[in-house]
Amino acid sequence: MISENAAMTGSYDYGEVSRSIVIAVAASYAALDLAGRVTATHGRARAAWLTGGAIAMGIGIWAMHFKGMLAFRLSVSVEYHWPTVLASLSVAILASAVALYATSRQKMGLVDALTGSIIMGGGIAGMHYIGLAAMRLPAITRFSPLLVSLSIFLAVLFSLVALLMAFDLREETRWSAMRRLGSALVMGAAISAMHYTGMAAAAFMPSALPPNLSHAVSISPIGNNGIVIVTLLVLGAAILTSSVDRQAEAEVRQINQGLEHQVTERTAQLEATNEQLRKEIAERERADEALRRSEDRLRLVIDTIPALVWSKFPDGSADFLNHRFREYTGLSAEEGLGEGWLKAIHPEDPASSVADWRAAFAVGKPFEFEARLRRADGEYRWFLFRGEPLRDEVGKIVKWYGTSTDMEDRKQAEWALQEAQAGLSHVTRVTTMGELVGAIAHEVNQPIAAIVTNANFCLRQLASASRNSDKLREAMLEIVNDGTRASAVISRIGALLRKGAPKRVAVDINQIIQEVTILLRNEMARNHVLLRTQLGADLPRVSGDGVLLQQVMINLVMNGIEAMSSIKRGPRELVIKSSRDHNEVSIQVKDSGVGFDPQQAEHIFEPFFTTKPQGIGMGLSISRSIVESHGGRLWAESHPTGALFQFTLPPLNNGAS
Amino acid sequence: MTEVSPIVFVVDDDPSVARAIKRLVESVGLQVAQFGSAQQFLHSERPDAPSCLVLDVRLPGISGLDFQRQLAEAGIHIPVIFVTAHGDIPMTVRAMKAGAVEFLTKPFRDQDLLDAVQVALERDRARRQKEAGIATLRDRYESLSAREREVVAMVVCGLLNKQIAAEIGTTENTVKAHRSRAMEKMQAESLADLVKMVERLQTFHEKAS
Repeated sequence: MISENAAMTGSYDYGEVSRSIVIAVAASYAALDLAGRVTATHGRARAAWLTGGAIAMGIGIWAMHFKGMLAFRLSVSVEYHWPTVLASLSVAILASAVALYATSRQKMGLVDALTGSIIMGGGIAGMHYIGLAAMRLPAITRFSPLLVSLSIFLAVLFSLVALLMAFDLREETRWSAMRRLGSALVMGAAISAMHYTGMAAAAFMPSALPPNLSHAVSISPIGNNGIVIVTLLVLGAAILTSSVDRQAEAEVRQINQGLEHQVTERTAQLEATNEQLRKEIAERERADEALRRSEDRLRLVIDTIPALVWSKFPDGSADFLNHRFREYTGLSAEEGLGEGWLKAIHPEDPASSVADWRAAFAVGKPFEFEARLRRADGEYRWFLFRGEPLRDEVGKIVKWYGTSTDMEDRKQAEWALQEAQAGLSHVTRVTTMGELVGAIAHEVNQPIAAIVTNANFCLRQLASASRNSDKLREAMLEIVNDGTRASAVISRIGALLRKGAPKRVAVDINQIIQEVTILLRNEMARNHVLLRTQLGADLPRVSGDGVLLQQVMINLVMNGIEAMSSIKRGPRELVIKSSRDHNEVSIQVKDSGVGFDPQQAEHIFEPFFTTKPQGIGMGLSISRSIVESHGGRLWAESHPTGALFQFTLPPLNNGAS
Repeated sequence: MTEVSPIVFVVDDDPSVARAIKRLVESVGLQVAQFGSAQQFLHSERPDAPSCLVLDVRLPGISGLDFQRQLAEAGIHIPVIFVTAHGDIPMTVRAMKAGAVEFLTKPFRDQDLLDAVQVALERDRARRQKEAGIATLRDRYESLSAREREVVAMVVCGLLNKQIAAEIGTTENTVKAHRSRAMEKMQAESLADLVKMVERLQTFHEKAS
């Protein structure tokens, strides 16, 4: 039936081949692109994309294939049975749909991929061979089974590769167009290879039979080009739509993101503002609270401060007295203001008159002094007054502010302490005297008591009828012994007084005077004695015992203080003066007391002479003996203005020369 | 009761004074024990006899006045005569307030000391007698049974036998028996006697507590 055994040789129009490859690449690119779209959309849009994509892709694959067939030139004219062509197209579209569906699923396992690729590859192969079957030419088509198998295998293999690639590349945002294009080139090349393998599988044997040309059309070059153009248009449209859609979606997403970002930002701003407001409110509340508290505190401080607070005009009149001041003095606000408050100050103290205050204010400097303030119950207590001036812009004092602090207890404690310290001097001076006298009395009285008792016993024995001469003798012997003992006691005391030749060192008499005045400062303050010292400069040192000389000074100062204690009105002034007088150091202690009877000027130095109710009359006597043991003299003069005690001491170098 | 011979204790750190006092007091026939310090006196064996203490105010270690207080605190009720070579009024007042018999300043008149010793011994004698009496009474009272004491307490309060019986839940006859037994034990001759005895015991106990 076959007249010629040789197969018809065909040639390829390479221009058509290259065009078919371009279509294959374009179709591949569209497929990859569309897979991404299908994946990214849902519901109806997804169905629409799937359908549209399958159609576009199917057309692309089919067009490539058809083009490839057209590129095959045979010596005979070839016509195409168009219903079969349409069938091949629909197979291509279905295969594309399967491929798109497979790649657009959430997951693609190996089985899915294989199934998809078999269906797709089968579809493509089917399309190919259906397309071949559409050819109407005067030849019999024979197929090489090996190449057919190979082509089907390649179709399935390339489908698998394509599916895997599409699945990987469907994440649109992650893969660039370039990458996709590269993949499309690979895929396009593969499809072409499969196609041309399939073509090679067919051999056309010339046939005498004319082809059945019903429903057959010949493809004119214009038609041929038309297919290419339409296909490319369809693919281009698909890609464009996909790209626009993707772009739009990306934009929408971007806009959404932008909006969301803006909302977040705005919300954050609002929150920040709110927080700021809350903070400001809390801050203000705190500030208000702090102010309130500070006012309360201030009020509380003024109410409870353990001090009397006042302000005064420069003329000394009171402008303000705090509650405590009024409470303490018992003065009402009206009584206390102006000069009324001065009534509460002890009349003997400085600060008891307006003049005193004006004088203090006139200095214009912060001041402090002590004065007694009368309490509501009439008791006077010592207060420390401190004042500080308030000046106007030109420096003129407009007011004085100050406090008066109760220091009675502290003063008492201070005195007690001073007294305790001064015990060494003043107190022991008296007590040692007392003890000395007591000791002498005891020591002498013991033997005397024994003598008297024994003598009485003797008398009793003598009066008794049964006298015992042994016992009498014994008692009389004891009398003699005790008499001797009493005498020994007396001489021992004398020795004791003469004993202890005072040590002689260089003594600065001014230093001794200063020590004594410090020691007795409080004694003087308590007795309201004003002390004035006039110490001579460059006095030579004296040779003596500092402690004993101090004892003399204490004696004289204490005498002076005591002599002035009876003064009710007028100054109590004690002057201590040291000077150089005719090669001797002279010390004077002068009081402003009543003085003494001049006729007693010498008696007062005798032991046990005293004009004081509590005195034992030893102080001046001992003082004189101390001064005389230092080679000096001590004497007293009575003046109308008070008593003057004076002693002299030879300077140190006198003894040396 | 046979009178134990009284003893006079002399505490003075000056031995010659102590000897002189001893000599003087012995001359009137009294027994004298002499000590140089308060400690010596405290640690000595003292006979159970009427006694008194002639005490120097100034003693080594402790003053006579403090020693007097110590003795009182220790429950030693011995009359004290103070002698001092250097006394003053506050010292005297303190000593007399604390129960001293006399406060003599050296040198003292011999008769003053001897008189004071007599007064002190007499006082101690009386105290001893009283204490002895009380002790006897206490012994007798302690020989009473609990029930007898209860009855005595109510009798002294003036309750009738009948009332007492009702109070302690017994018969009048039983109360009578307790009562007569108690009177016998206390050696009370009458109800008035019993009341006096109980009163003495009570006042003594109050003083002691």
